[in-house]
Amino acid sequence: MPVATTRTVSLDGAVGHLVTIQADVSAGQVRTDLIGRVDQGLSEARDRVRMAITNTDLPWPATKRITVLLSPADLRKRGTHHDLGIALAVLAADATIDPLTLDHCLYVGELMLDGSLRSVRGVLPMVLAARDRGITTVMVPEPQLEEAKMVPGTTVYGVRSLAQAVAVVTGGPMPDAPPVADSGTASLLQWRGSSRHEDLDLADVLGMADARFAMEVAAAGGHHLLLSGPKGAGKTTLAERLPSLLPDLSAEESLELTAIHSLAGILDPGAGMLQRPPYSAPHHDASKTSIVGGGSGQVRPGELSRTHSGVLFLDEFPLFRHDVVEAMREPLENGEITVARAEELVTLPARGIVVLAANPCPCGDHTPHAKDDRCRCRPQALREYRAKLTGPVADRIDITRHVEPLSGHERSDRFAPREDSATVRARVTVARARQAERYADVGWRLNGHATGAALRDHWPLTDAATSILDQQVVKGALTSRGAVRVHRMAWTVHDLAPDPTGRPGVDELDVAMRLRTGLPLLATTVERRSA
Amino acid sequence: MSGVEGRSVDTDLDAERLHRVAIAHLTEPGDVRVAALVEHLGAATVHEGLVRQLDLEGLGADASARLASSEPERALEEAHRAGIRFVVPGDHEWPAAVDGLHDAPPVERHGGRPLGLWVRGPLGLDELTATVAVVGARAATTYGTDLTHRMAAGLAEGGHVVVSGAAFGIDQAAHRGALAADGRTVGVLACGADRVYPQAHARLIDHLVDEHCIVSETVPGGAPTRMRFLSRNRIIAALSRGTVVVEAAYRSGALNTANWAGRLDRCLMGVPGPVTSAASAGVHQLIRESGALLVTEASEVLEVLAPAGQHLTRRARGADRPRDRLSHRQRQVLEAVPLRRAADDFSIAGTAGISPLEVRGSLQALEALGLVQRQGFGWRLADEDPGLPGQPFLDSTG
Repeated sequence: MPVATTRTVSLDGAVGHLVTIQADVSAGQVRTDLIGRVDQGLSEARDRVRMAITNTDLPWPATKRITVLLSPADLRKRGTHHDLGIALAVLAADATIDPLTLDHCLYVGELMLDGSLRSVRGVLPMVLAARDRGITTVMVPEPQLEEAKMVPGTTVYGVRSLAQAVAVVTGGPMPDAPPVADSGTASLLQWRGSSRHEDLDLADVLGMADARFAMEVAAAGGHHLLLSGPKGAGKTTLAERLPSLLPDLSAEESLELTAIHSLAGILDPGAGMLQRPPYSAPHHDASKTSIVGGGSGQVRPGELSRTHSGVLFLDEFPLFRHDVVEAMREPLENGEITVARAEELVTLPARGIVVLAANPCPCGDHTPHAKDDRCRCRPQALREYRAKLTGPVADRIDITRHVEPLSGHERSDRFAPREDSATVRARVTVARARQAERYADVGWRLNGHATGAALRDHWPLTDAATSILDQQVVKGALTSRGAVRVHRMAWTVHDLAPDPTGRPGVDELDVAMRLRTGLPLLATTVERRSA
Repeated sequence: MSGVEGRSVDTDLDAERLHRVAIAHLTEPGDVRVAALVEHLGAATVHEGLVRQLDLEGLGADASARLASSEPERALEEAHRAGIRFVVPGDHEWPAAVDGLHDAPPVERHGGRPLGLWVRGPLGLDELTATVAVVGARAATTYGTDLTHRMAAGLAEGGHVVVSGAAFGIDQAAHRGALAADGRTVGVLACGADRVYPQAHARLIDHLVDEHCIVSETVPGGAPTRMRFLSRNRIIAALSRGTVVVEAAYRSGALNTANWAGRLDRCLMGVPGPVTSAASAGVHQLIRESGALLVTEASEVLEVLAPAGQHLTRRARGADRPRDRLSHRQRQVLEAVPLRRAADDFSIAGTAGISPLEVRGSLQALEALGLVQRQGFGWRLADEDPGLPGQPFLDSTG
């Protein structure tokens, strides 16, 4: 049979398209054509495949005309992982192997000239996409065997070379092949303390009961947080402990996040599925691409997607570049990022908690509540700086907290509540379970994901609380977007209560309003729960 | 272990103490009728009257329900076993400051000197010489509790004993602040001294019992009823030289304490909050209408409470700037100096409306201060205001 078919997946952001590879080997002018909108990296597959087959001591149909079609032909395809599928299709079309054995299997891998198979980015989302279309047998480069196996219900073959792949397909004896180095972008630098985030605990934080409570609400409901305060107030100390308040990822979240990391090429397949919520704190020089995603060639997820279901901490937020700040509007509102390019629209999930930290002024000494305010910023500079904090992005931040450096005596207070992360995490876990149960039918996980319309229709506040909230909007104290965010947080405060019944009322609304507007919380809100 | 055995044993006083224990069990704390009757007739007579169910302004009828269970000796015995002593007027430990209640006008039938105070803890009431009450709303904000903590620590460092009510919000922050600064602090409770209320503050109250003291006018075992909070507030104010109110809404119980401080002619102080904050509205009212002194930090409270001349605070003001020291006419000249493009003496004199001769002198003085700089033959403003004033500038031009 002159035509043979194999399958692979082409990734478009987080969406995988099933691609059928058909090879035809027939008489005609001697040449090799690769058609179906392939990009540069993929068109080089012609040479890689030819040399790999030749060097594996298999026959290359050198005297015939070879045509390889990647269909659907209108879909733009890129990536070197199509090599294995192309090579096997050509071999089958040339009758070196039986084409019937190739059906219903996904082939992923990049060939080298000696026939060995290199690992590629995005194996997990590819396998996920194939499974969704009924293909449950996959062949991947051996280092990525574990990654592919994360998808339940699939049969995975890990091979080191084309020869081994052929052996698997034909059922012949498995030839020996040297292990192929993992191409994963392993960190070149390992330094002491690079993994210190795992050891951070809330118990190390002194005082700051107000901000602690805010962190608990943020963790429980997935709300974004702005910490403002002079340098040395403990903003970073708090933010980097937020992941420790989050429960382990659910199976679903874990799969999503692992797929994103696979796409970004930062997944260590040996470490298995990601279990803990990710944390990232990019520097304020970061480019828009690195934060929201994009890049040339294949779209790479940015930090916002890499910290999906985790925590993204942007310290010194007003120093971030203008285009980065503007690009964050959409993900903060929808929990997803759409990167639009000439012919494609790539959507990536980005439902992490964003924590912004800002000094109250450029010099960092402005302390509005202290009499010894040493700020020396010019009013003009102060105005420009503040504008960044009060713009559209700030309107999308749920919680604002002002933190101030502790006085000496707050450090020596033995009666200050000192809960550890595990205690708070237990409450957060319970609150999250309540939310998952409530939103089971609509597919949200947390209050932070709920839409304003659905909240009003199906999960309103008590009548008294609703009328207060409406008044705040009429008075102009809250924007309508702000009102939705307050409504969500009122639910989170309700879910965090020891034994919530009914709907959130005036008290929960009051706490949510304070969190939103930056007013100090009531001491009893913060105090009683620690008792 | 209590101090009672160690102190002077006086049979008359012990008899008096028993009568007072009995009356305390038969009546409600802070009842203005009881205080007045005991002052006039003596505790023994009033006790006997109550036992014989005389009218005594209606007290006899009120007390009849409790007569059956009245066993003063046993009550005192049990209190001692719980480490509680009953301090009465005439005792060495009796705090003289509380006697001020004798003359203070009552509030809502509450008032007068207490029959005695139930005290638990090693700190003697006679050691309470420099005392200050720090009180406020239970529904305080973290702004208020943080400020209270800081202020109480500062007061403790200044040698004052911090008196408060061990309640939620401001009260607990006041105790904690004093403890954090290794100071002494007294908790005045509305319930019996053997009970812990609120339960959430068990650790704090136990610590006060172990190393400081708690005080109550209510008999041991007594529950913290609403009324007892009102009479408790009067004890807090009476034990203290001054009362600082941090955060109180319009109907806060802390205003009751403030009221008592006023009636006792003690110094009443208030810490303001944001003017939009409901939690501070009562304090602002105290400052506007009741003559409470506005204080913002511990040093200002110390200045008021300390003997004249001690703990004086420095008059706070913004940082000095070189411009502050200029004379009026020098400022006029400075206003006329252009920002970038230099102008000569005559042009500046024209703009300022001052004679060129005087302008020249002023400009040199301004140059010495680093406010203006020469450029070619003219003058312009210096690039940056110098951060700190240079040498003191003597004004010669008036």
